[in-house]
Amino acid sequence: MTLADNIFENLRLELRRGCLTLAVLAQLRQEHYGYTLRKALAQHGLEIDESTLYPLLRRLETQGLLVSEWREEEKRNKRFYHLSSDGELMFRQLLQEWHDLNKSIDNILQGS
Amino acid sequence: MNLLDRYLLAVKKYLPWKRQDDILAELKANLESQLEDKKADLGRPLTAEEMQDWLKHLGPPMVMAARYQPQQYLIGPKIFPMYWWVMRLALLWCLVIYSVVNAVEIVASSPSGAAVFDAVLHLPGVLIITAAWVTAVFAAIEYGAAHSPANFPAKVVDHVDWSPGSLPTSEEGGCKGKRPRSYAHAVAEVVFGFLWIIWLLLIPNHPYLLMGPGAAYLRVSPYELAPVWALFFWCIVALNVVQLGWRLIELVRGAWQKSRALQHITVKTMGFIAVLVLFKAPNRAWVLLKYPITDAARYGAGLNSMNHAIYGAMLWVVAISAMIWLWQIVQLAVDHYRKCVVAEK
Repeated sequence: MTLADNIFENLRLELRRGCLTLAVLAQLRQEHYGYTLRKALAQHGLEIDESTLYPLLRRLETQGLLVSEWREEEKRNKRFYHLSSDGELMFRQLLQEWHDLNKSIDNILQGS
Repeated sequence: MNLLDRYLLAVKKYLPWKRQDDILAELKANLESQLEDKKADLGRPLTAEEMQDWLKHLGPPMVMAARYQPQQYLIGPKIFPMYWWVMRLALLWCLVIYSVVNAVEIVASSPSGAAVFDAVLHLPGVLIITAAWVTAVFAAIEYGAAHSPANFPAKVVDHVDWSPGSLPTSEEGGCKGKRPRSYAHAVAEVVFGFLWIIWLLLIPNHPYLLMGPGAAYLRVSPYELAPVWALFFWCIVALNVVQLGWRLIELVRGAWQKSRALQHITVKTMGFIAVLVLFKAPNRAWVLLKYPITDAARYGAGLNSMNHAIYGAMLWVVAISAMIWLWQIVQLAVDHYRKCVVAEK
């Protein structure tokens, strides 16, 4: 890996980090448990490591943006996550920010 | 217990105990769903080999446990096993080299209790510095691997050699390697404990039981053991009587499989007290002359060197006994606290 590759990788991870939070919040407008959440994100083209997803879920839950509950499904106890009311509000604000950023970048690209 | 359960049990060891059950239940649900999908894809259950391959693909238990926790570490799970191995090796060699160097130095210069005490006093500092260096080197490797993966070959970072076949088969096997005691074991402990005490009580009148042919030397030797040894001996007898009594009560009450933490700590404390009794021998004299008036001139110097050497050895014994005793007290307190927290949940 060259120096340029390293720099690209670091910047890509930095860019991806914020997007993943938004993607997880978006996906959790519907209830999911860990495994189906990963699958759903992957089906939409967003592969996410367990080592990234689970600490993120814990953090969002601690921040009050997610709610989790244990429930039995197919004779098995699973922990289901979904957005809390604060989480929904936060998601809408972040989505707005995301659209604004996209628009700004488009404008910059079109202007240059 | 199937291989997945054994894997989960191994992961449990690396999870913070407060959230252990919670994280483990979530991980179990996720892995079982993943396994079901695999079965559905294949149209049949996985073979034992496929199961092993799948678990191997998931990663070592320590790495899996780390995925479910916030990443706040200096040494990551990928290199931690190697770090831990190197750390133990480094500390062991440091201890050996330090002991040999100091022993040679003390013997070569002027053997004295103060010199031994000084060496013992400096040992923790030397060990801490060694541990700090090992940690610093591995923290640098971790940092380098995270920030510049290209410069750190996969062999260094992914040095986690494991096989699902080596996973522990039960909770006891996974945690402490102990099975509950059987009734026969408990009875044998009482019987042998009783015989042990009889053997101990016979020693004062029949020293050959302890020393073999060397007992004859005691009779002709100009030296004799100081009275503190008799006190030490009775402390040891008392300790064994208490332990035997405790075991007997357990057996009568049918409670031989229950935790023996309190019993262990009581016995260890009594053992430590016995060592202290011996250490506090009046005038640091563990060996005396049988006839000091007539033999002092001839054997006095030898006697002093002998008592100095015993004092040096006693310092080590007391230091090690104190560390073991403290460690067990801490372990008992932590276990008790954990049980209280789990009971409150």
